[in-house]
Amino acid sequence: MNIWELVIQQPMINVLIVTSGFLANSFGLAIVVMTIVINVAMVPLTMKQIKASKAMQDLQPKLSELQRKYAKDKQKLAQEQMRLYRESGMNPAGCMVPMLIQMPIWIALYQSIMLSLAVAPEGLLNLSKYLYPWESVYTLLPLSRSFIGIDMASPNMVLALLVGATMWLQQKMSTPMSSDPRQAQQARMMLWMMPMMFTFLALSFPAGLSLFWVTSSLVRIAMQYYVTGWGGLIPKRVEETAVTGQKKYVKFTSDSERADAEQAASDIDVSDEKGLGYVKKPDKTRFQPGKDRRRHPRKK
Amino acid sequence: MSGLKFKKGTAARIIFLSAVLLLVVLASSCIQGLYPVGWSGGAVSGDTLYVGSQEGKLVAINLTNESRRWSTELTAPRTGFNFGCIGPGGGAPSGVAIYGTPALSGDLVYLAGYNGKIYAFTADSLEVRWLYPREGYLEPVVSAPVVSQGKVFIGVGDGKIYALDAATGDKLWEFATGDNVWSTPVIEGDTLFVGSFDHNLYALDINNGTEKWRFQTEGAITASPLVREGNVYIGSFDRNLYALDINSGAEKWRFAAENWFWAQAIAVDGTVYAGNQDSKVYALDAASGTKQAEFNLDSPAASVPVQVGNNVVFASREGILYRINTEGNTMTRLADIGTEVLGPLTANEGIIYIHTQDLTLHRVNAETGAVMMSVSLESEE
Repeated sequence: MNIWELVIQQPMINVLIVTSGFLANSFGLAIVVMTIVINVAMVPLTMKQIKASKAMQDLQPKLSELQRKYAKDKQKLAQEQMRLYRESGMNPAGCMVPMLIQMPIWIALYQSIMLSLAVAPEGLLNLSKYLYPWESVYTLLPLSRSFIGIDMASPNMVLALLVGATMWLQQKMSTPMSSDPRQAQQARMMLWMMPMMFTFLALSFPAGLSLFWVTSSLVRIAMQYYVTGWGGLIPKRVEETAVTGQKKYVKFTSDSERADAEQAASDIDVSDEKGLGYVKKPDKTRFQPGKDRRRHPRKK
Repeated sequence: MSGLKFKKGTAARIIFLSAVLLLVVLASSCIQGLYPVGWSGGAVSGDTLYVGSQEGKLVAINLTNESRRWSTELTAPRTGFNFGCIGPGGGAPSGVAIYGTPALSGDLVYLAGYNGKIYAFTADSLEVRWLYPREGYLEPVVSAPVVSQGKVFIGVGDGKIYALDAATGDKLWEFATGDNVWSTPVIEGDTLFVGSFDHNLYALDINNGTEKWRFQTEGAITASPLVREGNVYIGSFDRNLYALDINSGAEKWRFAAENWFWAQAIAVDGTVYAGNQDSKVYALDAASGTKQAEFNLDSPAASVPVQVGNNVVFASREGILYRINTEGNTMTRLADIGTEVLGPLTANEGIIYIHTQDLTLHRVNAETGAVMMSVSLESEE
């Protein structure tokens, strides 16, 4: 066995098998419990990651403003971005590092589930080399593959759809709509692409793996809710109706809202002086009754 | 989504990110033993060796001139999924996996596939004489068919032992165990012995399938029993090798090893030789179970050994063949074929045949250990 198998896979496989022994020989339940336990063990890292991405999202309007302002001066843009990160106490790699630490653990759990399932006869034979000399480990194998009527070793349509649905929900919660059209498009694309891709994968993988993905997503939904609430799942009251180049038009749901927005706009100081904030008054701000009711502005 | 228009860089970034993620998922999912490949052993009749290939075909090899004939490919009810992983031999696995060694009787060759069908082929033309079931499929079959008294017996993944008419394929009886049956039945007189994943070894009447006795171990049984001089020897996943009385199933002795007894043991002159997944072969006194010797292999012993003269030959998973002299209980390294060995060994006229998962039949001289030129089982289509 190599180091990866010895240090990561072997312990996980044995714990999975013993756990299923404690759970009425149900490997499905063992997958659920192990996924939750590992998620809970990694709560500090996950929370750090969620908070870091939330902070990054909060900074997004300012970053967009910088991009607009220094569109033609990349060096200046980089300097200003770094200054913004520094002043906000943000580390751009803050969301990546916890994710990179967690990645091997997820891959190990995922591989351990596949190995323990022993889908093919070769898989069962291969499993013997991972076993600790514990009485229960030897006698429990091969594991019972049936879980709530689903064969854990074969693909399952219901679980595959659940994989996509929970993944979409979790991503939707963690991705608020950006005011930057490019980022909004990117976020919208990722919101659909990832769940669709995983649904497709789940349709060709054993259901045990889908169960692991669904459980992981549900746990992360709970954590996301704890940090950001429903996040991007609940749309904001002020809707962006159209985006054309650098101009932005908004639709207000009431007169008082419009009055508040106009008051706020008049309070904004516009300056190129450093350190006073990163708000730039739009080139043209106006409210156009009638015209702005259209979803897509008429081309000129 | 269709209304979205992307800048060139944005679309490229999304595609790149998705591709990386897909690659990570697929790369980490490619673990050994994810899809069925097969490990059929060979059966020899005259100068022809029959073996089930990883292409899902019965292959007949003329041992004199090495010419080969192939049956038509077995068909599967569903396509196997390999999760984008690379199969043995470089490509994705194709065809129905065949685990059981073909059985020969008269002019027919019997074979079962992981597709859940049992076949009788004509030995000369390799055409299908009959198949069971005629419509639909059973659960996957890992066990090998056994022919006796005009009947074919086989264990199936649905936990049943089937007895079929050897000439027509009609079902004569079935017996349900409590779980999957991978063990190949062994017939002695009118009794069939077979192990099951439900931890039991069963003794059944071959005429009607009624149970004579059963013996419960603490683990699943994949090995075939060994019947010799009034005893039945069976290894279990509970790490014990048991000796039972052939008539009553009463336990005579048990020997504890450190891992699973996966494959059938072999007996020579009052000594039982049993390979274990702990990478050892144990030589035990057949009457008392006393350990006479143990031999360390380089890796687990998964394949069924063969007897050649006064020697028994074991193969380790890593592909090294060991010869144990049964007179002095001494072991020598016979040959290294350089590839993983999972299936049973076959011996014929001083040559050991080893079918490996790279569509190859290896040949080793049992006397000298010389590795002879291998035979490819890849069909010439």
